[in-house]
Amino acid sequence: MECCGPGYASPADAIKAPREKLLYTIAIYTGTGIQKPDYLATVDVDPDSPTYSQVIHRLEMPGIGDELHHMGWNACSSCFDDGNMSRKYLILPGVRSNNLHIVDTATDPRAPRLHKVVDGADIKSKTNLSGPHTVHCLGSEIIISMLGDAKGEAPGGYLHLNKDFEIQGRWENSMGDIKFGYDFWYQPRHNVMVSSEWAAPNTFMPGFDLEEVGHLKYGRELHFWDFEKRVPVETMYLGEDGLLPLEVKFHHDPDSTHGFCGAALSSNVIHWWKDDAGKWQWEKIIDVANEPHPDWPIPVPGVMSAILISMDDKYLYLNNWLHGDMRQYDISDPHNPVLTGQVWMGGLLGRAPEVNGVKMAGGPQMFQLSLDGKRLYVTTSLFSTWDNQFYPEIRERGGVMVKIDCDPVNGGMTLNPDFIVDFGQEPNGPSRCHEARYPGGDCTSDIWL
Amino acid sequence: MIVTIANRDGARYVVDPRKPLLDSLRDQGVELPFGCKYGGCITCAAKLTTGEVDQRRQVALNNRQLNDGYVILCVARPTTDITLEIGVESHDKLYRNPFLDPLKPHELKADIATPPPSSRKAVGHKEQEA
Repeated sequence: MECCGPGYASPADAIKAPREKLLYTIAIYTGTGIQKPDYLATVDVDPDSPTYSQVIHRLEMPGIGDELHHMGWNACSSCFDDGNMSRKYLILPGVRSNNLHIVDTATDPRAPRLHKVVDGADIKSKTNLSGPHTVHCLGSEIIISMLGDAKGEAPGGYLHLNKDFEIQGRWENSMGDIKFGYDFWYQPRHNVMVSSEWAAPNTFMPGFDLEEVGHLKYGRELHFWDFEKRVPVETMYLGEDGLLPLEVKFHHDPDSTHGFCGAALSSNVIHWWKDDAGKWQWEKIIDVANEPHPDWPIPVPGVMSAILISMDDKYLYLNNWLHGDMRQYDISDPHNPVLTGQVWMGGLLGRAPEVNGVKMAGGPQMFQLSLDGKRLYVTTSLFSTWDNQFYPEIRERGGVMVKIDCDPVNGGMTLNPDFIVDFGQEPNGPSRCHEARYPGGDCTSDIWL
Repeated sequence: MIVTIANRDGARYVVDPRKPLLDSLRDQGVELPFGCKYGGCITCAAKLTTGEVDQRRQVALNNRQLNDGYVILCVARPTTDITLEIGVESHDKLYRNPFLDPLKPHELKADIATPPPSSRKAVGHKEQEA
């Protein structure tokens, strides 16, 4: 279908898009001891370019202390039919400052420029929300999960912006009995949104205390919403199988009801679907066993902080930040995933302390897959305070970005020997990279109506 | 009030006791890390080595961090002359691996901590009142 809006007519069309030549990742100085703003780095990922595998531009934020983390587009394939929309602006929330940085990536994709800042104090005063996390566009409008109220207490809610980034208020009509917020994804053909739970900003921002999990300061539930009515209608209590349910992904196929969530502390993948009777069901499909460590009194959990589904819905990728491995599972049968690939990079188990000549600090953390499913870019920093607890050497060494070559036909993953971006060598000192996005949309940005 | 910064060659600053220390010190050119500016995120933590502050508004520190002398500069106000160590050099005890070094029940954050053992009451003035 020829059309004039952003994105692609279908996931199958997205897979055929031209190969990415640039990607954007955020890099932080917040919490590192370096008194500089966080920034958006442009990384050259074109192997034919002389600056391949290098940071080629840095857009500093106007202030310090934002803690840039995740980001999202002003428009995606959900606006494919809308010729008035284009994928021009990347939204970069500051988790700590509450500021939203609107960055124009279209005028010069290699050198993005700041378009506008939505003031964090203004968001607090108009919506009583703070702690911005996941950004999705909703047709021509934007919703952002906000993990706390203006004082950093849970459950927060959802900020609604119009296409001109003006604050419209709260998106949701009710938070129901939801205790915490984090990630969300929706599947409009089934009128459903699923949201997950981390913790209140005042709980997770200062760092992680295991005891607070026992005191129910961290989440263990998934919430199913009536998307049109904007109210939660069903909660799934995951219990010990679902401690810290973080990233939520539906199949890209807009007709599918299958979705997945990575429970970070339990290090499990939870799968849900709607059964023949129209009832939502869930099950645990992947359970990463804790691993013994000579210095630890208890086995080390994987800490599965992110998951990703390939655009063809065939593979699920996950990380184990503390163990140090990235995994690829064939989920052609979503009830019975098959491990098809694994790569070690960093981590506490000592399996790959050095990668492509760079001594690793941290483990695999955030990752972004090319639309064709062949290239997975992986970064190593989780969140400044949590990094400081588990990988204190990251202060001196900074984060890295590596590339894993993936086989989308037969399965399998291998570390690419020619690509590494060492954020330990940045001009202002070691910074830490987290989420990455491509100019044309990627495997975690677009939703089809 | 006078603030002495031990790890900046003992530099001394006169500050308004009604203002948060972060604002007073940054206004006088001291470079300090900070994030949320409401006492919730720990980025601006510094170590208090002498004197007292009022930091009732902070919600980031657990009782062990409070007992180790940490203060949250974006909300703390001095109630006496104080000496601080600032920046990440002062964060040696702020961050710990929570699996290797768990907190005891009285060392949790104020809203979930049990009362300190009686033998610890001598330092109870540093623990946050619930």
